[in-house]
Amino acid sequence: MIENARQIVDLMHRLTAKSCEHAHLRVEQIESERLSTSSQKTNPVEKSVSTGYAVRVLKDGSWGFAASSKFDPAEYERVIKLAIAIADASRKVNSHKVEFAEPSVGERKYETPLKSDPFALPFKDKLGLLLHWEDLIHANSQINSSSTFLDFRRHTKLFFSNSGSAITQVLTHTGAGVTCGITKSRRERYERSFPTSSGQFVSGGFEAIATFGIEDQIERLTSEAVALMTAGECPSKTTTIILSPDLASLQVHESIGHPLELDRVFGSERNFSGTSFATTDKLNKLKYASDIVNVYSDPTYAGGPATYLYDDEGVAASREPLIQKGMLVGYLSSFETAARVGLPFSAAARADGWGSIPLVRMTNLILEPGNQKFADMLPDVDDGIYIEGVSSWSIDDNRDNFTLSGEIGWEIKNGKLAGMIKSPSYSGNTVQFWNSCDSVGSKDEWVLWGTPNCMKGEPGQNARTAQGSAYLRFRNVKVGA
Amino acid sequence: MISQDQALTLLKAGLASSTADQTELVLIGEDLSLTRVAESQIHQNMYRSDTNVFVRAIKDKRVGITSTGDLSVEAVKRAVKDACDISLLMPVDEQFVSLPSSQPVDKISTYFKDTADSSPLQRADAIKKIVDKCSRADLQAAGAFRNSTETLGVINSLGVEQFNVSTKAELSMTVTGNRDNAGWSIGYDRNIKNIDVDALAATAIDKAQRSVDPIAFESGQYVVILEPAAVGQLLLFLAFMGFGGKTLFEKRSFMSGKIGEKICGENMTITEDPFNPQMLGVPFDYEGVPRRRVPLTEKGIAKGGVYNSYYARLAGVESTGHALPPNNSFGPYPKHMIMDAGTTTLAEMVKSTAKGVYITHFWYVNYLNPMKTMVTATTRDGTFLIENGLVTKPIKNMRISQSILEAFSNVDMISGERKLYPQYSVVMLVPALKVNNFTLETTEG
Repeated sequence: MIENARQIVDLMHRLTAKSCEHAHLRVEQIESERLSTSSQKTNPVEKSVSTGYAVRVLKDGSWGFAASSKFDPAEYERVIKLAIAIADASRKVNSHKVEFAEPSVGERKYETPLKSDPFALPFKDKLGLLLHWEDLIHANSQINSSSTFLDFRRHTKLFFSNSGSAITQVLTHTGAGVTCGITKSRRERYERSFPTSSGQFVSGGFEAIATFGIEDQIERLTSEAVALMTAGECPSKTTTIILSPDLASLQVHESIGHPLELDRVFGSERNFSGTSFATTDKLNKLKYASDIVNVYSDPTYAGGPATYLYDDEGVAASREPLIQKGMLVGYLSSFETAARVGLPFSAAARADGWGSIPLVRMTNLILEPGNQKFADMLPDVDDGIYIEGVSSWSIDDNRDNFTLSGEIGWEIKNGKLAGMIKSPSYSGNTVQFWNSCDSVGSKDEWVLWGTPNCMKGEPGQNARTAQGSAYLRFRNVKVGA
Repeated sequence: MISQDQALTLLKAGLASSTADQTELVLIGEDLSLTRVAESQIHQNMYRSDTNVFVRAIKDKRVGITSTGDLSVEAVKRAVKDACDISLLMPVDEQFVSLPSSQPVDKISTYFKDTADSSPLQRADAIKKIVDKCSRADLQAAGAFRNSTETLGVINSLGVEQFNVSTKAELSMTVTGNRDNAGWSIGYDRNIKNIDVDALAATAIDKAQRSVDPIAFESGQYVVILEPAAVGQLLLFLAFMGFGGKTLFEKRSFMSGKIGEKICGENMTITEDPFNPQMLGVPFDYEGVPRRRVPLTEKGIAKGGVYNSYYARLAGVESTGHALPPNNSFGPYPKHMIMDAGTTTLAEMVKSTAKGVYITHFWYVNYLNPMKTMVTATTRDGTFLIENGLVTKPIKNMRISQSILEAFSNVDMISGERKLYPQYSVVMLVPALKVNNFTLETTEG
């Protein structure tokens, strides 16, 4: 890769240095491996490798981007010239010019620290672990469907800019999860998953799997799935809710992370993913959440699937506050979008692979832990619902009105968990909802949840993000249908 | 873009190197060009050329799958060797019988040179036209204009050898004003010459102009008029929830155990038809099996689903030519659905409605209960109140919580005109529908 990259970067510099304000080259390889089972049957292992490169230029204030998987000198020249021609075409429409000052970080290297390389372990051992989980699930004879998976990815990224940055990053991710299901009738089916419905994803090696604690939870999951068949319906009312950390993570993702993507705020996704109510005139003015809610972006936070030291524009990662004491104080941004509001770069421009344009994406979003454990939150609830797991979610294109549902719930009566309920759901409007948060869980129960499937952009890009959260309690929330 | 000769020569070299009992190689390539506009400026403009070869090797009913984006003969042979090696480590899949054998495939013209050759400048010209029209109306344009050329080559050790090149063009736009008003439109065709830029711009601008200062509207059950895109979005999720052979085999489909029974209204006939002259589907699937026309519902009666070779054998039927790429575990689903047309027009639907809601399209459709075909979503970019046969006011976006089959059981009118609607690599030819008792909720806090 590095030899090809040097050839392309020399040519890029020669063809763009005089005519373009900025030029970036990314040469990347993604190796991935996914092993999975369905109902005690092993699915074919999915093993792939994809290598390619992209040239992105800013010429006369307009962007051009071209990418190819063909490593050939003639193709290098075609791709670079096409990126320039595409920028020229953009210029035909654009009345505004994109401008920003690009810092150079020089030559840098980063590699995910890991103890056990998941790609080096025998398939037999990895499949054996999945089948062991399957056996544990089906030890409960009432379970009639199940799935398990292991997912490994190594993303090798070389970044070069005309301004002199030369960055190498090797990012390794590990993911795993289990689901068990039970079908009651043609129209009723219940599932429980762990660590959450999409599994848990971290940066690191195979050693991370043991920390997920999957094996320890399977017996509880299967008995809960069975119990859901006779559980009560979720009542329809306005009440207090407590969210499990994984569901709280999704709430952060959908109603804090996405609304604070600055490209979305400016309307870049207006035709597809939508916009955001959190417009820049609200910066430092909008009381987004209650005083106890503090959220920051931090790609340098260890262990998340969005852990890196440089984004895909070559910006050095740093911790950037987004919400402080409930006040909106920052955004996730790229070069272009940060420059428009005069905010520091937040290193959140990310592409999902060599063939994709960097977009403003979530990084590791950290909802700072509070001081109450789950058990401490219950006594203050006379009547409410505790919701656990992730089942479904939908939020409007302005990131305001949402409906989320969990896999399982329990009514809370007089400060104690009471009867189990199935298909618990809740809905609300973002700012009103977050301002009703009156308890944030403590560090002991805080988890950085990896999300492997955040879609955005056209063509669709699938980013890996993370949201750290413990239990959260909210008052006066509409639950049920 | 790789030629047929180059592709088949490469795949054959890989196949010849296999030590497995059966081997399949699938080449999937795409040259994609896409121009995105927002705030009436082109903010993303790209080209990407990517081709991958997938290998499926089977030894003693053990299946190994690999893929590579490196198109050198050595890399493809390495991918074949890796697939063979992996297969040896896999448990036996007793349900696997065989890869499909060769079958004749009908020809469908899926390639249009004008689409393949469309340049960044041509896309910029179209965008400029839209931006200028919006500017004259004091509106802003956002949108995406894409053209792509896709290559699919499939060979296997049982003699399958298929190759196809297809093109696609798609233009979508959202036109907005500063009074909470927006309008949306979309056009799709294999031939870029059939994308009517002026008409699409006129539709989006008209909706944006009519949706100024939308009012909040109370929750309830209403008559709704769904434009074809909204119908397509519901139909697609219905397909994901139950028209596929895997969901049927695993009894997760709403049609499980109900084939031959009435599941929706008698006016609902839905067919998978890649041969429709507007659809122009690729004539074979990712196993090289010819695609078939498949009735899914006929006059409201559940007729069956679509299958790849694996689930077809499990179900005791023949593959309908709906295999996905080898690395896909979702299972087969329809790619070219057609809903039978009615005889009315959108205007007649509106005229016949005393009180109802007109919906352009939905956003963020997601499952609530797949067995009950329950989904949620919000309306978007053009939602209007209908009173006494007239569209009277724009209304703010509303949330739906609705069983799709219930909605398709309450269809009162179907338009004669149908439109192509693409989403998630599926293309649908769908009419507008007038639906009774559709559940809408306010999104106001």
